[in-house]
Amino acid sequence: MPDFECRLKKYRQLKDMTQEQLAAQVGVRRETIMRLEKAQYNPSLKLAIDISRAVDAPIEEIFIFE
Amino acid sequence: MDLSEYVFRAQDLPMLLSVSLTCLYVGYLGILLILAIIDERRRERSTQTTRKLNPKLGFLGFLGFLGLIGFWSYGIDKSIFPFAFFIFFGFFGFFYEGKMSNTLMDERYKENQMQAHMTANRISLGIIFFAMLIVGQGKLIFSLEFTLITFFIVVVLALALEVFLSEYLLYRYDHDDSPEDI
Repeated sequence: MPDFECRLKKYRQLKDMTQEQLAAQVGVRRETIMRLEKAQYNPSLKLAIDISRAVDAPIEEIFIFE
Repeated sequence: MDLSEYVFRAQDLPMLLSVSLTCLYVGYLGILLILAIIDERRRERSTQTTRKLNPKLGFLGFLGFLGLIGFWSYGIDKSIFPFAFFIFFGFFGFFYEGKMSNTLMDERYKENQMQAHMTANRISLGIIFFAMLIVGQGKLIFSLEFTLITFFIVVVLALALEVFLSEYLLYRYDHDDSPEDI
């Protein structure tokens, strides 16, 4: 399992988006967003950038690697 | 039949016509099949979703039991090719491919797919390797003929397992916990 903390859920809720909406916006499945939020999946750089743009927050604030 | 001595007769005309039409029809079906495959490949590339498949096609896996005919045919005329039908056990994988039908192939899906293929390959090759190691020594089965038949069966079953495991593991990796939406 990837060793990082993911604050995507917090930023997604701040933008008032559902997992489904975010998934559609960044071109992945809802299950992928769900696992990202649980920090069970390590995203590619492109996906991380797409997500950061979608929720309007810096990458380093969303994905925190120790 | 020596066709060089053939002389055309009017009575042969229906037979010649029917054979020609059958050949044309088979050719037409072949062209349709090739066009369908090209169309499917193009669709897969453009839509980025998995192919649509009915999970009930998994029942085709039962065709694998046709391989048992090999034990009977070997006793009759020493032919072993029916053992190759064991490969159809791999069709049980359609159960899981059908469940993943029309799924968006995002980066996580592709990662899982690669991992599933690698694991299935490793297991299959491991089985073949150990079968070669154990059966190939000739101490287990003393007849060379039976050794080769056993090895053939093991290879076919290992390949069927690989086909099945690729789909099964992909499904497991994708559904390893229950989804939730908040």
